Amino acid sequence: MSDGGGYTKPLPTVSHEDREFWAAAREHRFVLPQCQTCGHVWFPPYASCPSCLAFDRGWTEASGRGTVWGFTIMRQPYIPSFEPELPYNVVLVELEEGPMVYSNLVGIDNDDIACGLAVEAVFEDATDEITLIKFRPV
Amino acid sequence: MSDREFAGKTAIVGIGSTDFARLYRTNDPERTGEALATEAIAAAIADAGLEKSQIDGLITGGLPHYEPVAYRTGLTDVRFVVDYPGAGRMCAMALMHAATAVHHGLADYVVLFNSVVFRSQGVKFGAQGQGLLYDTIYGMASPGAQYSLAFTRYQAEYGGTEEQLGAIPVAIRSHAQMTPRAIMQQEMSIDDYLAARYIAQPLRLFDYCLINDGAVAYVVTTAERARDLAHPPVLIAGTAGRANFREWYVDLGFWDDACGSMKADLFDPLGVTTDDIDCLQVYDNFSVSVLWGLEGFGFAPKGQGLEWVQNGRIALGGELPVNTSGGMLSESYLQGWNQHAEAVRQLRGEAGERQIPDCDWSLYWCLSALPGASLLCRDGLL
Repeated sequence: MSDGGGYTKPLPTVSHEDREFWAAAREHRFVLPQCQTCGHVWFPPYASCPSCLAFDRGWTEASGRGTVWGFTIMRQPYIPSFEPELPYNVVLVELEEGPMVYSNLVGIDNDDIACGLAVEAVFEDATDEITLIKFRPV
Repeated sequence: MSDREFAGKTAIVGIGSTDFARLYRTNDPERTGEALATEAIAAAIADAGLEKSQIDGLITGGLPHYEPVAYRTGLTDVRFVVDYPGAGRMCAMALMHAATAVHHGLADYVVLFNSVVFRSQGVKFGAQGQGLLYDTIYGMASPGAQYSLAFTRYQAEYGGTEEQLGAIPVAIRSHAQMTPRAIMQQEMSIDDYLAARYIAQPLRLFDYCLINDGAVAYVVTTAERARDLAHPPVLIAGTAGRANFREWYVDLGFWDDACGSMKADLFDPLGVTTDDIDCLQVYDNFSVSVLWGLEGFGFAPKGQGLEWVQNGRIALGGELPVNTSGGMLSESYLQGWNQHAEAVRQLRGEAGERQIPDCDWSLYWCLSALPGASLLCRDGLL
C-alpha cells in the first residue's frame, strides 16, 4: 500500500494544527488533542481548546474504539477518484472518548452496516506520508 | 427578533421572481446573477407600487459583490447596505436584518434579494465536501450525503421506510404542477419516486432539491408605511436564528434543540401555537429537512413524522399544506427565497388555484448549520 505514487484519492492538507496527528497516524497510533489546562478532548485537532480556549494542547492515545452513529452508501460519483469504488460506505463514528469522526468501514458488506455497530480503528497506509484511520467491526 | 413590541411592526410589501421554468429550459453561459437580480428587483419594486427612488436600503445575496448590481439597478445612493454570502441558509437572516433596519429607521424601504446561476455555470454540490473533519479523504461528499447519514440514524431510532419518506417529495411535486414558474411539472407518483436512483443511499434523486438559475427579491418597510401601498401588507411577526455549527454538519438530535429554540422565540411572545399555522413554506434542501422540522416544531409527534405526512396531510387540501408552490424540490432552488414569496402570495390571497382558504399564518424554517425561521401573518392579527 505504501507505494507513494499510486494513491489518487484526496489527501489531507497537513497544517500546523494537525501535523502531529498525522505523524502519529503514520506510526499507526490514533491520538486526540487534549487540553492540558482543563482536560477537554476534541477533534479535529484545532490548535486551541474549544472548551476553555487555552493554547495548551497535549495529546492522548485514543482507544480506537467507537460505535457507528450513522452511515450512508455513496452511489453518485462526486469525487472522480472514488468512482471505481462505488457504491462505498461513509460512516460517522462516535469515539469512546467523545469526538465524532468520519471514516469508512472495512471488513464488512455495506448491507450489514448498522447504527450502533461497535467498531475499532485500523490503519491504512495511503502514501509514504499519510496513513488513514478507518474502522472495522469489533 | 421575537419581542412583542417588534412583532408586526414591519412588512413585506413587494415580491419579484424570475420565471424559473423558462430559465431552466436554456443553459446560458452568459447569464449573470446581476441580470437575474435586476429582473427580480424591478418586479418587486413594481409589485409594491413604489418608485425606485424611494428604495434606500439594499441587502444582496448570492453574488460575489454588491456594487455590480447597484450599478445595474441605479441603487447607488442607498443609506443601508449589507452583503450576505452565497449560502442557502441566509434567507431568514436577511429578512431579520431588513426588518430591524426599517424598524429602527436605518432605511425606509429595503430591497433584499438572492440570485443564483448554479445550472448555467455547471455548479455541483459535492466534490469539494464541506472541507471539515477530513470528509473528502473518506469520500464524504455533498450535504445530501450528510442528511442521508442522519436519516439512517433516524430510522434506527424511530423506524420508518423510504416509501413513507417519499410522501414528502410527492406532495410537494403536486403543488409544483399548479405553479407555472415551477421547474418540475411532471406528475410524480410514489412508484416514480421509488424507481429513481439512489444518490447517497437511503436518499434518492427526488429527495434532493434542484440545481437551477433564478432570483427572488422582496421590498420590506414598516407596517405603517405598508398600509398605504399596493397590496395588503404581509406582516413579519418574527424571525429567529439558532446556530448549529457542527463539523459533521447535521445535528445528532435531528435539529430538535434548534427548532425548539426558534419556536419559543417566534411563538411564545405572541401566544401562537402550531394550531394557528395555516401553511408551511420551508427549506426543503432534502426531503428529510421537512420531516425533522415537522417534529422539531411540534407539528408531528417525535419519531412519528413519517406516519404523520401520509395520506395527503401536507398536500393542498390537507391539514397542513407544505411548500405550496413546489419548494426547492420542485419549484426552484432559490434557497428559501421562493418559499417566502409563496407565503406572501398565500397571505395576500393571491395564490390562485393553490390558495389556502383563510390563510392567516405561514411559518418558514431552514435546518442547516445555521438554522433560521420566520413567521409571517396577515395584517390585523397582531
